[in-house]
Amino acid sequence: MTALVIRRLVWTIPVILLVILFTFLLMKQIKGNPFRHTERNVPVAIQQNLEHKFHLDQPWYVQYAYYVKGVFTFDLGPSMALRNQTVNDVVEEHFPTSLELGLFAMLFAIVVGVPLGVVSALRSNSVFDYSAMFLSNVGFAVPSFLVATLFIYFFALKWGAFFDLPTNGWSGWNSKILPSIALGLAPMAYFARLVRGSMLETLQQDYVRTAMAKGLRWRRVVLVHVLRNSLIPAVTAAGPLLGFLITGSFVIEFIFAIPGIGRYYITAVEARDYSVVMGLTVLLSVIIIVANLLVDILYGFLDPRTREARA
Amino acid sequence: MRRRSTLAIGAVALALTLLAAACGGGGSSSSGNGNGNGQEKAAAGNLASSQVITVNWGTEPPSLDPGLATDTTSSNILLNVMDPLVRLDDKLQPKPSLAQSWDVSPNGRTVTFHLRHDGRWTNGDPVTAQDFVWSWKRTISPELAADYAYQFYGVVGAQAYNACKSNCAALADKVGVSAPDKYTLKVRLTSRQPWFLQQVAHHSFLAVNKKAVDRWGSKWTEASHIVTDGPFKLARWRHDAEIDLVKWKGWRDARDVTLTRVNGKMISDGTTAVQAFEAGETDADVIGPPPDQTPRFKGRPDYQVFPALGTYYYGFNVKNIPDVNQRRAMSLAIDRQTIIDNITQANQIPAQAYVPKGMPGFATIDVKSKWLPAHGDLDQAKQLMARVKDPVKNVTLWFNNAPGHKPIAIAVQSMWKKLGLHVTLKAQDFAQYLQFLGPPPNKAVDAFRLGWIADFPDAINFLEQWTCTSGNNNTNFCDPRYDTLVKKARQTPDDNARYGIYHQLQEILMGPNGQLPFTPIYWYTYPALVKESIKGTFTINPLDSVDLTKVQVRET
Amino acid sequence: MTSVNLREPVAVAEGAAAGAVAGAPIRQAGLWRDALHRYVRNKGAVAAAVVFSLVVLYCLIAPLASPYDPTEVDFRQAYQSPSWAHPFGTDQFGRDLFTRTALGGRISIGIGFAATLAILLIGVTYGSVSGFLGGKVDNLMMRFLDALYGLPYLPFAIVALAIVGTVNFWTMVFALSIASWFTSARIVRGQIITLKENDYVRAATAVGARWHRVLGRHLLPNTLGVLIIAVFLELPGVVLGEAILSFIGLGISPPAASWGSMAEDGRDVYQIHPHIILIPSIAIATLVLCANFMADGFRDALDPRTRKS
Repeated sequence: MTALVIRRLVWTIPVILLVILFTFLLMKQIKGNPFRHTERNVPVAIQQNLEHKFHLDQPWYVQYAYYVKGVFTFDLGPSMALRNQTVNDVVEEHFPTSLELGLFAMLFAIVVGVPLGVVSALRSNSVFDYSAMFLSNVGFAVPSFLVATLFIYFFALKWGAFFDLPTNGWSGWNSKILPSIALGLAPMAYFARLVRGSMLETLQQDYVRTAMAKGLRWRRVVLVHVLRNSLIPAVTAAGPLLGFLITGSFVIEFIFAIPGIGRYYITAVEARDYSVVMGLTVLLSVIIIVANLLVDILYGFLDPRTREARA
Repeated sequence: MRRRSTLAIGAVALALTLLAAACGGGGSSSSGNGNGNGQEKAAAGNLASSQVITVNWGTEPPSLDPGLATDTTSSNILLNVMDPLVRLDDKLQPKPSLAQSWDVSPNGRTVTFHLRHDGRWTNGDPVTAQDFVWSWKRTISPELAADYAYQFYGVVGAQAYNACKSNCAALADKVGVSAPDKYTLKVRLTSRQPWFLQQVAHHSFLAVNKKAVDRWGSKWTEASHIVTDGPFKLARWRHDAEIDLVKWKGWRDARDVTLTRVNGKMISDGTTAVQAFEAGETDADVIGPPPDQTPRFKGRPDYQVFPALGTYYYGFNVKNIPDVNQRRAMSLAIDRQTIIDNITQANQIPAQAYVPKGMPGFATIDVKSKWLPAHGDLDQAKQLMARVKDPVKNVTLWFNNAPGHKPIAIAVQSMWKKLGLHVTLKAQDFAQYLQFLGPPPNKAVDAFRLGWIADFPDAINFLEQWTCTSGNNNTNFCDPRYDTLVKKARQTPDDNARYGIYHQLQEILMGPNGQLPFTPIYWYTYPALVKESIKGTFTINPLDSVDLTKVQVRET
Repeated sequence: MTSVNLREPVAVAEGAAAGAVAGAPIRQAGLWRDALHRYVRNKGAVAAAVVFSLVVLYCLIAPLASPYDPTEVDFRQAYQSPSWAHPFGTDQFGRDLFTRTALGGRISIGIGFAATLAILLIGVTYGSVSGFLGGKVDNLMMRFLDALYGLPYLPFAIVALAIVGTVNFWTMVFALSIASWFTSARIVRGQIITLKENDYVRAATAVGARWHRVLGRHLLPNTLGVLIIAVFLELPGVVLGEAILSFIGLGISPPAASWGSMAEDGRDVYQIHPHIILIPSIAIATLVLCANFMADGFRDALDPRTRKS
């Protein structure tokens, strides 16, 4: 197990380097001047000063080397558009917000989605099951921007006096409710479906039947054995769900004017703020890489079958 | 940012080439009060007990360093937390601020400012002439790599220092800014520049506190570090979310300031911003409602439209559409009023010429000129089109992919279709679009949209854009007669004589025998949502600036 | 987009492969008939397939049958609510939305399928190379995928759109597929490994059958079922992805419009003219819902192992 972890850890380094290279080469393909924000042309001397300041007058591999060095010393360089901030500042300022939003959304998804899936499985093919599954299918299919727009209209504007929820922002506790639910809706639906499916499968396993035959109380069997085993797929889905939350956060942060990295990413690409775009892309990729690593390790512990297979 | 900076690129910049030449003074300015309803008298009512307001600025100020800021939002915050040497009044004329007076030498090349003695930094130090000398040289220095260093190119030695590759220290000493005593600032200019005083009102010319900059480096603009000298202090700055100002009691004229706190929000999406205003979360929204939502607000007391000095236009690539009759036909086929009534919605003025109404010397342009009727002239357009020998039937119209441009392009596409033209629309994102337009423009461009917002109140700022060598002439239009007249205008100090030349220039562009390298669509306005309680005191001036010292909250 | 349903397809795909391969070479036709039979028994999947076909038919036929010119601007007709003359109302320019929604559907569904196929193509290529070469190369290529599994496609799509500048059908397909193929590559590779170790294939290779014969006659046909499932698993994500990009202002350029960019147009006026945002959004939701149900149906039909008892 330790060997596996170490091997995976060592592997992440070349992958991160590749991701940086891929992003870097993509960025190099983008046309547009990061120092021209208006319709006015930038004088030559000023353009040169700026390019020199940000190493843009160097060959691309030198820039790449600078960048890689920066990443491994946790210095993502200065922002080209926000002249008094570094990319690290942007990350420190925006990332906690996005993280919080993601965690709340995930919390909502688990707290609502898992019980929904469990009850649906226990009463499979009942009216409850059908309506829960239909709803979760719908929740999965309706575009998040419509959900967010309707939420704001009904809960913040139309019945705003009753609910006392702000239309946007991320400051007080009440400003966090609508965006978290809007973002958590699709993962919630996903969890419900996933848990239901794996519950149904586990319920048919021999050992469950055996446990039940032994006369233990049925409810305990379900809770202790079935639930635990049914949640393994949910754990392994955490990595991809993270990606899903990140994608969703772009829209939710945009509509709710939340100062997270999703909203800022779009601004940075528009402003050709290369260093910020690079920094945020690499950051997101590293998060995914680390999350996958953790999930695999966790999976190894949870599921004896893979533990043996991998040893 | 999405709404305003793309539609009305509002940087209050000064065109570089202008500074090199001399021309007559800023002249008597008109108030620029178009058909907007923004200039109403202060509301009756008594002062409200709470003088706290929340404003949506629309975007994060990218920098609160006067040397590095390039945009409207930063400029708006800066001019309320700092003390400029001069401010522009309602008529855009310079009036004393930190400088109580100034002298201009007979040859116009030396300007001496006399500073007030009661200017204070928030750390208690007095504001001195030396602060300005240090700050200006800092902005000019190549190390800072300031976008707006060229603002100073009219000052002796500034351009050489900014472009220096070696020997920079010596060149810095030669820059023509000095402080003969603690409260006297002397500026030597490369030539007579009567607009220099208006220019000094720009945020690039603010002083910064050397102690704060030295201590904190590039982080000196954070709320916990910044040292300011204006009517408001920076209380809190949560990047990309909130920026809060509080009244600074130590300011020299603090008794004239009524507001005690201004909370700033940065909601860039127009619909989200409107929702926040309607829910009472903001008191003023300077980005205004999105055009599509405007009909809902028109006629309501909290919807206001302020006049602006800017023109939205469609340019032609004259190499691709060489026949002037076709360009004129395309220009006359555009029903500007219909576009305004159905799409842009904010009482914009159908542009009858390039220089916007409200610019000094252009107050009555709409009466004088019938060049471009508000509803166009389709019959004449068709006649002209019939005269074109070799018409370009397939036209590619480009615009940048930002809210607001697409509907106008769709409308123009259908209007040009009536001339028998097949118009293909192409959108690009803004950064790439600008590069694509050159100058010279990419060969694939037949027509394109752009806008121009005044840097300072003189029409030369608009007209010199169309000279052969201009860095902002994306049309391939080049007429030596035009360039000669522009040169002549720069050397004409008398206002009325110069305005006469400006009118000749406009005639070359779009008069009866004009070349029409582009066709203006409308003159900008600044729509805003302002609660009734601060209506009348909360105004946006034609250069897109809000003076918070004048704002009062009244009981309604 | 790929982030959804991620673990599921892996298991399913491998299961389906095993099931399909078991009897593959002998009773190919019978297998498909059985699959059809099983699909038809799933009422939800059948309903979804019917609705899906109706939507596609509407998109194809409505513009041909419509009396309105979808590009004709007439401001006097602007913002009409749904009526008999205009079942979906009209937009800002007085254009008939019944016709335009169908045209938007062609683009949305077209981009959806094109990007899905592009994703599968890249994934199949990468996965087959990895699976066939095996050994160290496979190890290397898979480590890479393991690490990037679940990487959000959106940041890369936004950068890709900034690179191309003008957004049209194919650049949108490019943006949507550039960072979305990791999952399908994994599925295919798992598939190939399973098949490689399948007795029949081993035997064929052992008696000296050329690799492309093995590939063409035995492997690819057996992969078809998995691919059908994969198409309908990917499609919803791609369609939603296109809508999201359009909604944040990076959508396809006019005069072309997709459901996503039509919804974006409707956002500004949703309080006054809600039909403009609702109709394309509902269209997207319907398509995604149907595709999900159909994917379930295909999975049950083509993968006997997960069949409901």
